Amino acid sequence: MSLRYREAGELHKDFHGSMNAAVEYVGSRYGREGLRQVFKSTAQRVYRSIYEKLKTGDWSELVEHWRYFMTREGADYTLEVSERNVVLTVKVCPAVAHLRKLGLKPSAFFCDQTVLLNEAWCDGTPFEAVTELTGEGSCVQIIRKRPTFNAQGYGK
Amino acid sequence: MIPSDQFVRFYNEVFKFLEAQGGTALADYYRIVSGQQEMHCLELFKTQGLAGMKAYWDRIAVEENCDMQGTLYADRYELVMSRCPSLSKALDNDAGAFPRYCDHCPGWIIPLLEKAGYSCEYDIIDRTVPRCRMVIYPAGPDRPSRVQVSGKKPE
Repeated sequence: MSLRYREAGELHKDFHGSMNAAVEYVGSRYGREGLRQVFKSTAQRVYRSIYEKLKTGDWSELVEHWRYFMTREGADYTLEVSERNVVLTVKVCPAVAHLRKLGLKPSAFFCDQTVLLNEAWCDGTPFEAVTELTGEGSCVQIIRKRPTFNAQGYGK
Repeated sequence: MIPSDQFVRFYNEVFKFLEAQGGTALADYYRIVSGQQEMHCLELFKTQGLAGMKAYWDRIAVEENCDMQGTLYADRYELVMSRCPSLSKALDNDAGAFPRYCDHCPGWIIPLLEKAGYSCEYDIIDRTVPRCRMVIYPAGPDRPSRVQVSGKKPE
């Protein structure tokens, strides 16, 4: 399975601190709608290959992206794929864990990088995203087939 | 979660969004980034000076997989970036690079250095090529910080 982006080598986890500052800046000045615009362009343009596959009903690159980068970041997670759902259960989020290590408080918008990214990935596709935050640094992310999906249209 | 490996491609989208807002949105953001970076650098630069800068960027060179050389001289620290991983990722990106992507680096570095008592000559060289060079000196009236895009070819 090929990923459009598959970095290797060392990790610079301080970028999670940079992410915290970025979402706080955009969210506090432009609201969630501002964040939604940035994450929409990230999901659909930066991660174009994942999004294009999702539009055709193929979640394989998203699953591979999650598996590769959650493992690379040292997350405590499980990933289950069934016929109708993909369920990513993050028990210890490496991004939140690194903020704690830096002594930073997560922005109120920090988890929007997950919630809004998943939302934008599913927009206009046969899938819907449900992201449940189960604690600070834990969540359950579900990508599931819309029940009314058919060949003529999505989510009717 | 955006993987830390891919933060810079998100960053690139933030720059595009802020540029579209107009006014000083993007410049204000650079100052916020500079303030955030103080937690990693300011005390180190104030207490250890040029040697502290070498220690900081030596660590960054490893963690960010940079091809760069940092050299400490008695009167200055020089950093020559031969392959910037940040711009490289912004360019290797289906969304396309923000045309002034490189500006964020002097945008956060120079205010922080000046706060620590140093000035910086920053040469972006070419905004489409992942190379740059910066030279840092103790601040003095005859050596203000400046940013240029020289267009110099590799030696």
